[in-house]
Amino acid sequence: MSPSSIARNRVRTFFSKPYNVILLVLGIVLTFTTVAPIIAIVQDTIKIHPGTVDSNLTGQSSGYSLANYIDLFTNRFVARRFLWTPLWNTLLLSVGTCVVSILFGGIVAFLVTRTNLAWRQYISSIFIFPYIMPQWTLAVVWQNLFNSNTITGTSNGLLASLFGVNMPLWWCKGLFPSLMVLGLHYAPFAYILIGGIFRNMDANLEEAATILDTPKWKIMFRITLPMIKPAILSTVLLVFGSAMGSYPVPHYLGLDTLSTQYIAMNSSRAGEASILAIIMMIFGVAIMLLNQFSLKSRKNYTTVTGKSGQISKLNLGAGKYIIALILVILTFFTSIFPIVSFAFETFLPNPGDYSFLYTGDPSNLTTKWWATSENVTENGMYGQKGILYNQTIWRAFGGTLLTSVACALLAGTIGTLIGYAVARQRRSRWAAYVNSVAFLPYLMPSIAVGVAFFILFSNKYLNLYNSYTLLIIAGTVKYIPFASRSSLNSMLQLSGEIEEAAIIQDIPWIKRMLRIIIPIQKSSIISGYLLPFMTCLRELSLFMLLCVQGFILSTTLDYFDEMGLYAFSSGINLILILTILIANTIVNKVTGASLDKGIGG
Amino acid sequence: MKKILALLLALVLSLSLLAGCGGTAAQGSSSTPGETQGQSAPAGGSAAAGSTDTAAAAPAAETKNLSKTQQIIAEAQTMSLEELAKKAIEESNGATFYGVGNSSRGKSALPLFIEYLQTIDPGYTMEYEWQQPKNNKIFDQLTADSMKDVGTFAMTLIQDGNQIESKMVQTGILDTFIPKDWAEANGTTPEAVNSYLALQTLNKVFMYNCTGTKTYDNCWDFVAPGEHGLYMDIDSEIVGKNFLYMLTRDDYAAWLKSAFDALSDDEKANFQPTISAMERDASDLGLGPNGAYALAWIKLWVESYSAQTDDGPICNVLVDRSATDQFGLLVYSKLRSVEESASVSVNNIKVAAYEDGYTGIGGYGYCHYLFLTDNSPLPWTACAFIAYMTCTVDGFSAWGKDMGGYSSNPVVAQGTEDTYHHSVGGGDEFPAKNDRGYAWWTAEGQGELVLEDPAYCASVAFTVGSWIEMLDKFAG
Repeated sequence: MSPSSIARNRVRTFFSKPYNVILLVLGIVLTFTTVAPIIAIVQDTIKIHPGTVDSNLTGQSSGYSLANYIDLFTNRFVARRFLWTPLWNTLLLSVGTCVVSILFGGIVAFLVTRTNLAWRQYISSIFIFPYIMPQWTLAVVWQNLFNSNTITGTSNGLLASLFGVNMPLWWCKGLFPSLMVLGLHYAPFAYILIGGIFRNMDANLEEAATILDTPKWKIMFRITLPMIKPAILSTVLLVFGSAMGSYPVPHYLGLDTLSTQYIAMNSSRAGEASILAIIMMIFGVAIMLLNQFSLKSRKNYTTVTGKSGQISKLNLGAGKYIIALILVILTFFTSIFPIVSFAFETFLPNPGDYSFLYTGDPSNLTTKWWATSENVTENGMYGQKGILYNQTIWRAFGGTLLTSVACALLAGTIGTLIGYAVARQRRSRWAAYVNSVAFLPYLMPSIAVGVAFFILFSNKYLNLYNSYTLLIIAGTVKYIPFASRSSLNSMLQLSGEIEEAAIIQDIPWIKRMLRIIIPIQKSSIISGYLLPFMTCLRELSLFMLLCVQGFILSTTLDYFDEMGLYAFSSGINLILILTILIANTIVNKVTGASLDKGIGG
Repeated sequence: MKKILALLLALVLSLSLLAGCGGTAAQGSSSTPGETQGQSAPAGGSAAAGSTDTAAAAPAAETKNLSKTQQIIAEAQTMSLEELAKKAIEESNGATFYGVGNSSRGKSALPLFIEYLQTIDPGYTMEYEWQQPKNNKIFDQLTADSMKDVGTFAMTLIQDGNQIESKMVQTGILDTFIPKDWAEANGTTPEAVNSYLALQTLNKVFMYNCTGTKTYDNCWDFVAPGEHGLYMDIDSEIVGKNFLYMLTRDDYAAWLKSAFDALSDDEKANFQPTISAMERDASDLGLGPNGAYALAWIKLWVESYSAQTDDGPICNVLVDRSATDQFGLLVYSKLRSVEESASVSVNNIKVAAYEDGYTGIGGYGYCHYLFLTDNSPLPWTACAFIAYMTCTVDGFSAWGKDMGGYSSNPVVAQGTEDTYHHSVGGGDEFPAKNDRGYAWWTAEGQGELVLEDPAYCASVAFTVGSWIEMLDKFAG
């Protein structure tokens, strides 16, 4: 055989396997959608922007220069003010958020899955609510609860109004409330990931230790915690980058981070702001490399053996009710109170005006925020119609649904295919590359990804600014990891023999996927669709630079929050929460999958 | 077959990723911009807010060098409002009009404009969308939109003369249109106007919660130790930074010096060390003899103000009875939004400058400017809308019906006062709402409003501006 025939045969053999085709095509596409925005933003750091500091430093209004790098890194005052202080705050926020979310989510996961805690079903369902809500709404609730005239120099929040309690400044503004709010928001991640392992964990190891009379604390630290280490690492992986890229929470709670600094610098130091975005991206890449290093070096713990279906549950005794009660109270404040507070806010005559609570007089309540059908500027309506008649809100709701459904379908499908193809070719370097490049955007801070897409797609050749196309591209690229991780984990559990049996029967690939593989791993795959949908519904940091405020619901919500029109933003929050709950219920009824059952299979 | 299917599936998904399934919100397309980009603005592009300058009339640009929008503007500047309205009806009947602005009230003005057009053609209809971007994003939005051959936004109502000049006008993104009727009301012609077209001057004024005993009778009281005024973050609303720039101009620095001189010796002792420390910086920055007073006030303000997201929340806080002794610098007209309740009242606040014995600056005045986008999809309609807002009391009523906004058209300004009686609008019940008018607010020894001058702001943006950026903002 001639060398060309051999090569042709190799190519033919290569393309005869659908997973090779999938890996090749998606590898190329994802390389473009991930790398091109990064190149665009790097270019922006050396571009001269009219009317900004690089233009002033170079004396030019266009062209390229290293002035931004020189100014940001070598000017002592500039570096301290715009780089080092925000960077330090960002790192503290990201680490703190990881700690809070893992501790809170992990402990609750343990209590729900490994003990005989009372009211587990209720706690499990209610615990994910903070993740459903846009993250900054918890920040607004925090302000409404703890602000006081004495400490924050504002009007009194609920605690100060009703009980005269003035919380200290560090509690009300800055790092602590920011990491608490983000920690609570991301605790469901830890709960889902760690809970998944707890739920499936082989009890034999712990039982063996118990038989050997090992103290309970030792079992916990030597057996249980090492087994959940992969889930903790996964949580760190997911939460660190998300916290780093969060704009609204530190913005509302007065913490100077790279994200808030990016927005603040954009008017006069646009090029230097892009350098901050690059720094955030570098952290994303570094986390991914660290994760890959840990994957190579760490011990593997098999959690699903098929030998034991029993999970030993710790008997809490009388504590099962006491701890449950504490959790019910805690989750009331993180999950129920915000919703009640949103609903109440929509009936206040002025934003934050709690006159009704002091007086009990119903005339201090109003339905104007819902029922005003005319365009009026009086009484704080600012030319807006009530929520029920407000076309801006409902049009944005339609845009949000369109974006979320499209992102979920695309990200879910692409992620599933990646998971399938990578699992089938797990020893291939190209498969590892595709897996990494698909996961990279998730590790990059949302605001940095948003900036990159804004720069890439707002030029004279390709201008997608303020289009659903752009939002769907950005959302899909960002959320593929939800589906690819979920799909990969479940596909790895699936023996190759199942598909091989179908191949012997000469069943086409598409039929094998639709009739065999997807139905077996239905639950995990549906999670891969549901999570992008839910995340996309209330995404702000990623989309805020890509469209105008009335385009989707989250930017509309942010606009009303910024304006102080909390009745409108609260109403939108209620709409979002209701939408997610309805979607979750429908999916649960139809497929049996559910959000609190988790990602990662 | 399976190979083809797999390939097709992957390709379709990949293509759909790129193509998406939604369209743009407007009729903007995404092709190469026309030849209009980068053209210099037509006559009228310099920076004296709302003023006219017949002596410095710029020669009309040659028609062949004008963009399509600029050609329409040149023609529109010779037309009356009614003639423009007819052109607008021809152009936009059944269309959707997109505007973007720093003021939310453009949304209220548009339906009035449509009603006006319907008085000429009862069958006329137009959908509209008004955007009010936050956090200085209006410049990013307009820049991104300018890349399109035909833009989304027909016009803008925009503030911050400094950024407008460097980012919008010099780059050819925005074009000035001067309505003939407006020019005549100001005793000039459109060609002779050498400035942006201002819709109005707005004032941000010092107000304080008066449910306690504390009073503020001098502008230096707002930067005294322990004070934390509520103010929109200067990095979020850049026009707030322009206020600080303006304080360094000789005349306003002199006002600060006069106010300082009126303080008691004890009070002076609080500020003198900071003023003395600023002498060298003032000299380095090339400021006038009272520059140190300006820099001291700016430094103390930046290091003490409590940053808020908008004037709305500031107003909400100050009118609450629990905000005892707090104060803020906020848009005066926000008082219109307050609904009286058991704990909220306009009478819970006082306007500092209205109080007897108050000395020093009473606030800050800045303009909302009107422009067409150079790739405006509805240029005639945009011209007519701009003329309607600047030349009629009804057109200005979205702003004019509340206190604190002063039309740049003297005829409209007088008509607005005759219609709405803002000078006595609050009556005895709500004295804080009795607007003393533009003349009072801007006079020395009365309101002492510091007025934005885009040219001055631009000249110090990278000297005083960089100095301000290095100050440590209050983190509380």
